[in-house]
Amino acid sequence: MDSVLNQVFAGLSMASILLIVALGLAIIYGAMGVINLAHGEFVMLGAYSAWFLQEQFGLGILVALPVIFLMVAVVGWLVERGVVRWLYHRPLDTILATWGIGIVLQQLVRLGIGPESRYVARPEILDGNVILGGLVMANYRIFLIAFSAAVLVGTWYLLTRTEFGTKLRAIIQNKEISECYGIRPERVYALTFAYGAGLAGIAGALITPLVSVTPGMGTYVVVDAFLVVIVGGVGSLIGTAVASGLVGTASAAFSFLLNDTLGRVALLLAIILLIRFRPMGLFPDKVRR
Amino acid sequence: MLQANALYSYYGKSPIIQNVSFNVRPGDFVSILGRNGVGKTTLLRTIIGLTSRTEGELNFDGADLARMSTADRAFHGIAYVPQGREVIPRFTVRENLVMGTYARRDGKRTVPDYIFELFPVLKQSIGRRGGDLSGGQQQQLAIGRALAMEPKILLLDEPTEGIQPNIVKQIEDIIIRLNREMGLTIILVEQNISFARRASEQFIILDKGRVALSGRADELTDEISRKHLSF
Repeated sequence: MDSVLNQVFAGLSMASILLIVALGLAIIYGAMGVINLAHGEFVMLGAYSAWFLQEQFGLGILVALPVIFLMVAVVGWLVERGVVRWLYHRPLDTILATWGIGIVLQQLVRLGIGPESRYVARPEILDGNVILGGLVMANYRIFLIAFSAAVLVGTWYLLTRTEFGTKLRAIIQNKEISECYGIRPERVYALTFAYGAGLAGIAGALITPLVSVTPGMGTYVVVDAFLVVIVGGVGSLIGTAVASGLVGTASAAFSFLLNDTLGRVALLLAIILLIRFRPMGLFPDKVRR
Repeated sequence: MLQANALYSYYGKSPIIQNVSFNVRPGDFVSILGRNGVGKTTLLRTIIGLTSRTEGELNFDGADLARMSTADRAFHGIAYVPQGREVIPRFTVRENLVMGTYARRDGKRTVPDYIFELFPVLKQSIGRRGGDLSGGQQQQLAIGRALAMEPKILLLDEPTEGIQPNIVKQIEDIIIRLNREMGLTIILVEQNISFARRASEQFIILDKGRVALSGRADELTDEISRKHLSF
């Protein structure tokens, strides 16, 4: 029983990372209809930024988070302004373009920094565990869960309570009329893309104490994040949150009950079944456009 | 205030508006009339910048509109109320009105009080979603949203089309008041000849994308209406 609880807790903490990655994906897809296959590489860049800031300036992850967010957001902004914005009228081509960008980013890191694994230290302030009976919870993982909840609330606030969010929602519903009221879609799109990329960067930084940092690390994370977006239903914050919890814990549970490989297979089968019966995900967008 | 000279406007490669010229002075009320499909809506969309390409001159208050993005035209004080109203369905009435203020040059985000005096129904339904309102209420919201940007000129596309008859008269009277009492310049696209005659000082009749006839509203006789506007 205790080991099950421990697995669920570990699953939840991975789900928190997944949530931050998936939020970025979901926002970019929901706003612009772009399936961003470079998202995993934004995660990887965030991880390398954390490593770089720690190595060069001795900055811990927590202090470096705002810097990392900005660094990866700038990369995202450049990608949107440089490539993606030319493809808004050809949504399918954005898949190919962002995939290519992902490969380029990965190889640049491999050539510039090297293919070997890098390690980033966990913040000392979050060392130690909280023990509840047989349940051992690492402080860092508790922090991850709390932090991702804060990111979720912050994103909700940004989208529903700020002028930027209102402009974005206006464009999603009626781009033409939004322009007639002084909203500049190109600006909103670029900032949205940058925000999604920045979130991925944060997730990449936060995951560094748990996994080793390699140029290819993003691919693994982003596959799960796509599963989350599909299960949750596109365009729904709450769906993304619930689905990342489900996918994260289910993935941990299946791996525990079977083994890593079979666990993966079981997870994918479960999602295929779910999509068969709920093709629009758990929380589909029900309102007519 | 708004001058067009030899204006052409395209969707893709097709010129929809061909060689149109007109001059709207401050405080004018101009009706654009014509049968279905002659380019009335396209002319309004050309002014706000929603067609694919234009040729010829289009000036507003001395500025060259033809080179400007739609958002910039809005910042110059051009408000567009499209056919079918196009309020944002999942925005509340308040959010829809605040959206109008995004095109204000002074950056203020307050909705002027007089809009609620003109349209009391907007005050009553301030928290309801735009998509849940009736057609007439949506039209009042769309006009309110346009007024929230404190425009210099208002482009109205068939504001009474598809609206319950008891509200039509009310909306018509408010549109006339905006022009007569508040001095707002208005360009109106209309199928309803009697309203156009009552409201406007000038008219332009379009046919196949060209100006067929223009003049003062009191010259808009039944004979002209039979010749150019009946089916």
